[in-house]
Amino acid sequence: MKLQKYELKMGKLLKTFEFISEGRKGKILKFIKFEKTGIKNVYNLLFGDKNSKHIDDYVVSNNGDAEKVLATVAEAIVSFTNRYPSSWIYAEGSSRARTRLYQMGINRHLSEILETFEVFGLKDNEWQKFKKESAYDAFLVTRKQVILKHEENSI
Amino acid sequence: MKKTASKIKKQYRLKIDPSLDKYNDISFCPEKLEQANKTLKAVGLPKLKRK
Repeated sequence: MKLQKYELKMGKLLKTFEFISEGRKGKILKFIKFEKTGIKNVYNLLFGDKNSKHIDDYVVSNNGDAEKVLATVAEAIVSFTNRYPSSWIYAEGSSRARTRLYQMGINRHLSEILETFEVFGLKDNEWQKFKKESAYDAFLVTRKQVILKHEENSI
Repeated sequence: MKKTASKIKKQYRLKIDPSLDKYNDISFCPEKLEQANKTLKAVGLPKLKRK
């Protein structure tokens, strides 16, 4: 299934992305950034509305294009992991509702996502393979080949 | 394979905006990053079982 996405602009290092959401509230500039964490190859996904020098990841835009916005964020993850194939992406919504929205997005397209990625959900302070029926506090995504390397290294 | 790589490169070339790289070293939500670090430090990465 080919989802509608917004056109992404990205920095040379493919760690920062921008796009314009267009909906019932008008045009909203969105920003995505993959930030290094304290763990090697693990990046935190920052996503929100860009207002001058500030990124608001709490705002509920309500622009009527959530599906298209999430598909665009997914596209950014694909581009980022093409460039950094050993990376893991950590994502947690700025609120329970936002985390649930991410979960619903993953649920809807899980079979396509699993063709390329492994997805884990954080539940009771443990990572579990993502299951549609569970509710998670955060998510971790990586390319399937990273799992194979990870397994080889843990022998 | 070669064709695919060139296609991806072309796609990147068309959409790259170097001005966005200035945000690479700026932390917009340090508290959120701190929270992510705290969680990751506590739980680590998934423990994978070999089949």
